[in-house]
Amino acid sequence: MEKIKPSMQSHDLQLQEAVFLQGHEQQSIIQRRITEWLILARIQFTIIREAWVWIFIMACMFPLTTLLFLKFFTVDPTPAVMTRIITGNMLFGLIVMGLNSMAQEISWQKHQGHFTYYSSLPIAKVNFIFANLLRGLIMSVPSFIILALIGQLAYGIQFHYSWGLVPVLLLTVFSVVGGGVLIGFWSPSHQLTNMLVQALMMFISFLTPVMVDMDQLPKILQWFSYIFPTTYAAEAMREVLISGWSGSVAWNTLVLLLFSLISIILILKKVDWRVEK
Amino acid sequence: MMKLIYQLEHVNKTYKKGKVVANQNISFDVQQGEILGLLGPNGAGKSTLIKQMVGHLAPTSGSVRYKGTSVQTQTKRVAQEVAYYSQEPHALTSLRTWEALYFTGRLRGLTKESALKQTEELLERFGMLDLRHKLLKNVSGGQKRLIGIGTCLIGFSPVMILDEPTNELDPKKRRLVWDLIQERNRQGVTVILVTHNVLEAEQVVDRVAVVNHGKLLAIDHVGVLKQRVDQRMKLEITTSFGESDNVCRSLSALGQWTKTGENRIRTLIEKQNASYAIDCLTEQQLPIEEYSLVPPNLEDVYFHIDDDQDKPAKTEVV
Repeated sequence: MEKIKPSMQSHDLQLQEAVFLQGHEQQSIIQRRITEWLILARIQFTIIREAWVWIFIMACMFPLTTLLFLKFFTVDPTPAVMTRIITGNMLFGLIVMGLNSMAQEISWQKHQGHFTYYSSLPIAKVNFIFANLLRGLIMSVPSFIILALIGQLAYGIQFHYSWGLVPVLLLTVFSVVGGGVLIGFWSPSHQLTNMLVQALMMFISFLTPVMVDMDQLPKILQWFSYIFPTTYAAEAMREVLISGWSGSVAWNTLVLLLFSLISIILILKKVDWRVEK
Repeated sequence: MMKLIYQLEHVNKTYKKGKVVANQNISFDVQQGEILGLLGPNGAGKSTLIKQMVGHLAPTSGSVRYKGTSVQTQTKRVAQEVAYYSQEPHALTSLRTWEALYFTGRLRGLTKESALKQTEELLERFGMLDLRHKLLKNVSGGQKRLIGIGTCLIGFSPVMILDEPTNELDPKKRRLVWDLIQERNRQGVTVILVTHNVLEAEQVVDRVAVVNHGKLLAIDHVGVLKQRVDQRMKLEITTSFGESDNVCRSLSALGQWTKTGENRIRTLIEKQNASYAIDCLTEQQLPIEEYSLVPPNLEDVYFHIDDDQDKPAKTEVV
């Protein structure tokens, strides 16, 4: 029998556990998860608070330069062409954030060893991911607004702002985020993640009707594009911005919801962030 | 009756289809309320072992049970009850020092009031109250470490696993960390700590597990392990610059020498040979600056067990 510290011999387990519970919040699981998400979101916000000016400038750079060059290369663009270019760019920014940035961010945190801190805490994986997503959304909003303003002020395009834009916008992001998260968690190295998401981004954005019309794509890509959420996101976004909520927008939004659910199920079932096999 | 917190049975961890062995057939228990020190050189497999204990790594074979159930099947519970301090870079460098502690406390389930109170108390203990609004990335390495340890202390987890908690800390801060660990242990917290600082750990740990080359070489109470070398004395010599190898050769009759520094060597000798050893030192006119002959401490036990591992006939594998 091994020696036991005298002070520990009389230790009463229940009393001891009561000490550990002191100061702990008595909440329902839903309240607990909301509190947890808010705290994780605050942690994510601290990452951008120190450099928000630079983040804002860099976030604006991409849409501005893209628009500028497209203007040069498009001879006498019709309002329909400009509308497509602008909405395509707005959508592109959201896809970059949901897929590209999410994969890179999670992969970077994984390879930096940051997961060790988070996975050592009793927090839900989904909350961690959605907190990261919120930061991504905050960083994408400037480019989204700037593109909308440029479209309206410089090219005279009248966008239709309705509440329907909110679910379309959020579901666009959610529908692609699962892919980003899976790549980020799986990534054997950060370099590989970067290469993979760049390739995937090009494929999804330029070989599906995000920047071009569906009928401009080769037949095989037209069929192929139906399996990507970006096709439905492009349809829904364009229509809700130009003519507002409609049956077609509702249908595309429903498909995006389905993709989002698949995305979240994939995260819940396929990503084990605590245990490395 | 003490409760078992951890039970490890025949834990093996290998990589590259078994070509790289990190842990080999490790079995031991951790009892509630004890402080267990894991000692071993760099690359011995200590960190791999504790990663399996917190559920961040799955063993290749064998089982790691926390309170009777496999860690792998209850990672959330383990995260709830076990505070883990790793050597990984800090994930919270964009936070202010108080935020790192406060947010961790909140994520451990503390109320706002309790999290704030405990944050203040810890910052005060660390002597960092005036640095509370400083970003973690802008404080010193030692202060970052303290905040990292603070994230384990906040929220009173019943078990703490600390991977080299005193690394990079100055002596005063090291003392503070050992004091905090002992305080928590007196409140009933079970502590498992990995450390290289054998001498300081000796004052704190109840039991010691010596790990090297992925194997558990010995595990017992400090006193019991010390009995293994109780009939011996530690002879430690500081030689003139660059002369340690020569001195080792000249005194090879006294035993197997271990280099402990640039010009420092040591060996364990039988007590009855002490006067013979002194005679050797004084008569041979060796380039020796200083020597001491003292009873062995935990560090010597560690070296003794570690040295024995290289001699298969004498190896005592637990």
